[in-house]
Amino acid sequence: MSIFKKLKLAREKTLNIIIVGAGKVGSTLADKLTAEGNNVTVIDKSPERISRLATTYDIMGITGNGSSYGTLMDAGIENADLIIAVTDSDELNLLCCTLAKKVGNCSAIARVRTPDYAEELTYLRDKLGISMIINPELEAAREINRILHFPSAISVNAFAKGTVDMIKFKLPKNNMLCGMSLMEFRNSPALGNVLVCAVERGDDLVIPNGSFNLMAEDIVSFIATPHNAYKFFRHIGLGGRRVNSALIIGGGKTSFYLAKYLHQSGISVKIIESNFARCQELNELLPDNIVIVNGDGTDEQLLMQEDIASAGAVIPLTGVDEENVLLSLYAMRVAPDIKAVTKVNHINFSNVINELELGSVVYPRFMTAEIIRTYVRAKKNSIGSNIETLYRIFDERAEAIEFKIDGDSDFLNIPFKDLKLKDNLLIASILRNGKSFIPGGQDCFKSGDGVVIVTTHSGFTNIRDILG
Amino acid sequence: MNFRAVLYILGWILNIEGAFMLLPFIVALIYGESSGFSFLIVGIISMIIGLIIVLRKPKNMTFFAREGFAVTALSWIVLSIFGCIPFIINGDIPVFTDALFETASGFTTTGASILNNVEALSHASLFWRSFTHWLGGMGVLVFLLALVPMTGGSHMNIMKAESPGPSVDKLLPKVRQTAFVLYAIYFGLTALELIFLIAGKMPVFDAITTAVGTAGTGGFGIKSDSMASYSPYIQWVVGVFMMLFGINFTFYFLLIIKKFRQAFALEEVRKYILLIIAATAIIIISIMRSGAFIEMPFTDKLRHAFFQVSSIITTTGFSTVDYDYPNWPLIANIVIVALMFIGACAGSTGGGIKVSRVSILFKTVKKELTLFFHPKRVVLIKFDRKPVAHETIRTTNVFIMAYIFVFVASVFLVSIDNFDFTTSFTSVAATLNNIGPGLSNAGPTESFAAFSHFSKYVMIFDMIAGRLELYPMLILLTPEFWKSVFSPNRGIRVYK
Repeated sequence: MSIFKKLKLAREKTLNIIIVGAGKVGSTLADKLTAEGNNVTVIDKSPERISRLATTYDIMGITGNGSSYGTLMDAGIENADLIIAVTDSDELNLLCCTLAKKVGNCSAIARVRTPDYAEELTYLRDKLGISMIINPELEAAREINRILHFPSAISVNAFAKGTVDMIKFKLPKNNMLCGMSLMEFRNSPALGNVLVCAVERGDDLVIPNGSFNLMAEDIVSFIATPHNAYKFFRHIGLGGRRVNSALIIGGGKTSFYLAKYLHQSGISVKIIESNFARCQELNELLPDNIVIVNGDGTDEQLLMQEDIASAGAVIPLTGVDEENVLLSLYAMRVAPDIKAVTKVNHINFSNVINELELGSVVYPRFMTAEIIRTYVRAKKNSIGSNIETLYRIFDERAEAIEFKIDGDSDFLNIPFKDLKLKDNLLIASILRNGKSFIPGGQDCFKSGDGVVIVTTHSGFTNIRDILG
Repeated sequence: MNFRAVLYILGWILNIEGAFMLLPFIVALIYGESSGFSFLIVGIISMIIGLIIVLRKPKNMTFFAREGFAVTALSWIVLSIFGCIPFIINGDIPVFTDALFETASGFTTTGASILNNVEALSHASLFWRSFTHWLGGMGVLVFLLALVPMTGGSHMNIMKAESPGPSVDKLLPKVRQTAFVLYAIYFGLTALELIFLIAGKMPVFDAITTAVGTAGTGGFGIKSDSMASYSPYIQWVVGVFMMLFGINFTFYFLLIIKKFRQAFALEEVRKYILLIIAATAIIIISIMRSGAFIEMPFTDKLRHAFFQVSSIITTTGFSTVDYDYPNWPLIANIVIVALMFIGACAGSTGGGIKVSRVSILFKTVKKELTLFFHPKRVVLIKFDRKPVAHETIRTTNVFIMAYIFVFVASVFLVSIDNFDFTTSFTSVAATLNNIGPGLSNAGPTESFAAFSHFSKYVMIFDMIAGRLELYPMLILLTPEFWKSVFSPNRGIRVYK
């Protein structure tokens, strides 16, 4: 805004961001983006939502239709850097972004979730000039799919176009790793190509060094290529049987995408959906050998009848979070070594959910917010390097960030052992010429590298931030 | 109640007040007065206390509406108590009640004084008295919000509690930016007035105290006859600037960002200007008819009428003439009492009920009348051409009721002193609406010295309650508040 410049308020680099739609994702974004120091304006039709949001977060609230010219002008679209449209309606989101692009000179992110558009997202994005189109259900399905590939993992995040994964798992009692120091771990030939980058123990998060000893009940995050990760789990005896069948309860959008993914990787899929018309629809859209059962997924009889205990994985994707949680708990009770992935959409109380031993929990609203935040961080950044991916581990206490290094910088080609790096920071992986490897002290950055950093610092926008 | 966070903010308030107390000390140095050391000592002491408190920032800084209200009320009480100590030490106002009254009157921008002979005060005390207006006008907490970066949201709750008006809007997305812009406008306008006053050959000390007194719509004069002895030019400048400081600051913000049409379309500002014109006209006509001012040229009548109207509607309280009945006709006095209650615009530094609230109430009455003719008709109450939320109308109605209750109760308590009706009525009106002088024994040429200590405390409460728009102070009277203060919930584990 011109007034900022006049008053020299723009000392710190802030973005002017407009969020249209004050729903779940809109509120989460408002919270996180203001916390990162951006100027956030939220537009929503409902005055109640706006006033609630405006008293909770440091934002400006505007009541109105986000795709109307007048409202956008009120919200200061002329000086906005970014508009994020996350209303319930895909069409409204697209219209809003298109209009905003015409009125102001800003980037636009739209949420589009209807499967009808799913195939055309790239086309829409390019033709409408929108920077990013997010499909939360698709993202959730992708994440669940990744998790199912490693049944012992709590969560799996992909970096460097899927060439490396960051995998989080809980170390069981009496595992061979218990009591092992990371020095031994690294020197062991069978474990050496896996890098432990963060350990959560009780309420603490550690970015461990060589003298750190692993203990039972630790929640360990490591980085490895999918192939090495698979071998690693096998080696430490957590390979388990590979999931070969999955029971999905609820036939919504996420289920649709997930069933497609699972089917592609050769896992047999069964979907229980209560709405008959939806069952027919799914039957029409999905390949024939996916079993679609019409019935109430919360009916114990039906679950028995469909033999829940014999499924390799159960994924409750009903619209009701409480049902999802209960279904997962139930499934793990009738089949102790079943893999359950629970989707939690609305309810907060994540600390209570974490204590419930649910295995893996997926939060689509945080995922959407995360992707958008990554984009915002990257946008804040100047030339030199770029944020490609960003994940938060252990609530907000640590971040794993993937940077893309391009152009020339003075710190290129200097071995890491000669670079002065910040504390609590780990260079976890480098992607060079399509191959990922775990760097050592004699390695160095080269132009074109993709670099994954794990750190407890927050707010890194540039690879330079890692220098002490 | 998150009392630890409330205390933390109070610590900052003490720091700020302590730092500003160095200004009167500098004034004392310039004039070679020994009374300045009282400000230095109290300033340093309050800064030490403040620093001890803010040394450790509480982990949990969650602020809900109740904390916002509590911290606002307590801040203003703390400000008044610490601000009055120098007066007692340097002997300018030796009695605690009087010193507290004077300081509360300063911070709340009331301008009601217990001093019979203002000229006897030291320059340092005079300066501090007027400067409290400037601090209190825009609000010390707003100043704090502009100055201290406070991460986390919810600070809107503090700003809401301190800023006047039925609904508080942000000018910019962040509380801190908004607070900063408000103070920038405030400072700019004050400096502008100062330039105009000095250009009119007003002595620099007088110009500074008058400018800060106008800016906060306070009204402490440094002379017993207020503005009467200054030149017509200076009176015009002060009159116009009082009017300007009574305008909603959103207006100036819109001007700065070059949205002129939007600025001049603001309904509240238009009605406010209309009210000033109408009131000035009525007073001029009434004094022309009264015959007592036959020799006075029309321009002087206009100046006096406009100055008094501008002074009262903005709740400043400067005066150029003794307008107390029978000097001015009764109708002129009634107009002045009416303006006392209406007050200035929301979002300005002025007090009173506020033009926007009065306007909304007026429209509710009109709507009710319409419904007698067309019971099924759908009528939305609109302000600034936008429908007013039902919640705003409800809170406005309740606010007026609370206002009347507080007012009646205060008049009842003050009447124990057994002054005449006009005195009791207008003294409460003048303090609750943050104006300063009332009528009769509390009139522009009189002082509040004659009231009993008890009445003074009632009026101190009224002044702070009026400045903070009642609720923060009323909350202090509820048993629930004190219960929550003495039993803070320590057991909750904060997940972060």
